[in-house]
Amino acid sequence: MARKLHLGTVVTSLVAYAVTIAIVFPIVWMIMTGFKDEVSAYQMPPSLLFTPILDNLNEALNSGIMTYIEHSAVAVGASTLVALLLGIPAAFGLVWHPRKSNPNVLFWLISTKFMPAVGVLIPLYLIFKNVHLLDTLWALIIVYAAVNLPLVIWIMYSFFSDIPKELLEAGRVDGANDWQVLMRIILPISLPGVAVATLLSVIFSWNEFLFAVTFSYTDAPTIPVFVSSYMTSEGLFWARMSMALSLAIVVPVLLGWAAQRQLIRGLTLGAVKG
Amino acid sequence: MAETTRPAIRGEPVAGKSMAQRGSAERRLFLFPALILVGVVTQVAFLATIYISLLNWNLVRPDLGTHFAGLSNYTTLLTSETFRTALQNTVTLTVGVLVAGMVVGLLLALLLNRPFPLRGLVRTLLITPFFVMPVATAEIWKNMLLNPLFGLIAWLIQTAGFTPPDIFGTHPLIGIGILLTWEWYPFFMLILLGGLQSLPEDLIEAAHIDGAGPLAIFRYITLPHLQRYIAIASLFGLIYLLGIFGEIYVATQGGPGDASTTLPYLTYQTLFDNWEVGAASAIGVTAVIFTIIVATGFNRILLRMTGYGEAQ
Repeated sequence: MARKLHLGTVVTSLVAYAVTIAIVFPIVWMIMTGFKDEVSAYQMPPSLLFTPILDNLNEALNSGIMTYIEHSAVAVGASTLVALLLGIPAAFGLVWHPRKSNPNVLFWLISTKFMPAVGVLIPLYLIFKNVHLLDTLWALIIVYAAVNLPLVIWIMYSFFSDIPKELLEAGRVDGANDWQVLMRIILPISLPGVAVATLLSVIFSWNEFLFAVTFSYTDAPTIPVFVSSYMTSEGLFWARMSMALSLAIVVPVLLGWAAQRQLIRGLTLGAVKG
Repeated sequence: MAETTRPAIRGEPVAGKSMAQRGSAERRLFLFPALILVGVVTQVAFLATIYISLLNWNLVRPDLGTHFAGLSNYTTLLTSETFRTALQNTVTLTVGVLVAGMVVGLLLALLLNRPFPLRGLVRTLLITPFFVMPVATAEIWKNMLLNPLFGLIAWLIQTAGFTPPDIFGTHPLIGIGILLTWEWYPFFMLILLGGLQSLPEDLIEAAHIDGAGPLAIFRYITLPHLQRYIAIASLFGLIYLLGIFGEIYVATQGGPGDASTTLPYLTYQTLFDNWEVGAASAIGVTAVIFTIIVATGFNRILLRMTGYGEAQ
């Protein structure tokens, strides 16, 4: 096709670029402010051309933000690992030993996502308090694993279901046991599914706030708890705050970009393949 | 499972076991650890919440003891002004953000459904707000954008010749609604974009040839096709939005007064400001009942449209 400068396309492009810049500007501006000094952070209109300084980065790293990020990394990493270790076999069990109850099990898993967090918060708080897991990362690991499990099972189930039946039958005929079929045949060709489940699970638990502030506030606070504390302790130190916020969002944003194609399938548990 | 036992080929009867039983033990072994963890954290814990909601129990006053209180926590709630405000705020905020997010999401989905250079990049950038940590979103909007003295949007309003409002002080729900719309429109946009892309091209082509204008095509072809996607987006959007907590915690702490207190925030507040475990549980239970009513209502609509399983 000949390249023609189509008026409609030009208008569409210009509208799209303008809207996108306007919508994304808060994030871009926040990242830039993180590299300014406190005085120019307030300047209006915001200066777009400036000499970046690293003072805020140094200060953020020295202020203990890394401790919070470490807490988050442990809670998110361990809970995702647990969710995968329990969720992959569960999805495999549904596909490899199918029963009439499969739709019910899957629907039940969806329905647990409809449970608001405040509906379970209090007993979990009391239990963790009683068994002395409150203010440890264990509480978050257990809860995040449970919250992400339905997602992991759904994603893995939909990937496993796409595997050609012949491949599974070949495994049965070869005399491999269930575990060998999962590890040698099914899992190696489902690695994209594992990647998606991991990404979504990490994003959601990295950003989670209610359980974090309830279960880990004092001794094992994660990065969202740190971010939320800025309103009281730092007041109007925008440059410093911007740097801390940038550090807090970099992980979920990058992973989110990587997972964007599967995002809607994950969020609607398979109802829409976006 | 010993490796020496040859597993049966599908359809081959195994000695002593019917088809239905074969592999049942293995299936349970694979499934149950996951289902038990999910069940304990979501279902058993909810049953416990119901039980605790029937108790008079203050965590910092163990001297008062824990008593069975019947439904008194609920009757107190129903007569409480704060609870009614919280319920009202929850509905207003959820419906408001749902509608606003859907409209913005639809407009951007229509835009992204047209071909233009760098479309992939634009799509990637446009979904970014959804991945920004919600408490960080609240910090950015509350301070750097909407702060009436120093915020960027306040500056724009001032430059245009108006007085910037102290939105979180005077209309906190609108302020929170704005930042939630920014955070959530990508969710609606992506679902609706999925719907638009599944619309058969030749259908629009045919309508075009028949002389239908772009508005008529949108009204009579695109919108009916999108209906089930809008329904699914509404269902999941409502469920997720009903649970909003961190943004309110950071932006307004439920205030001023209880002007932006929602059911999740009220539950948290009752738990940690007053340590009233029983009363907080009662609010939690009403939040769940409320969610179930909404979800059931929407499920009905979805089933009537027979869209749920097919909208893929």
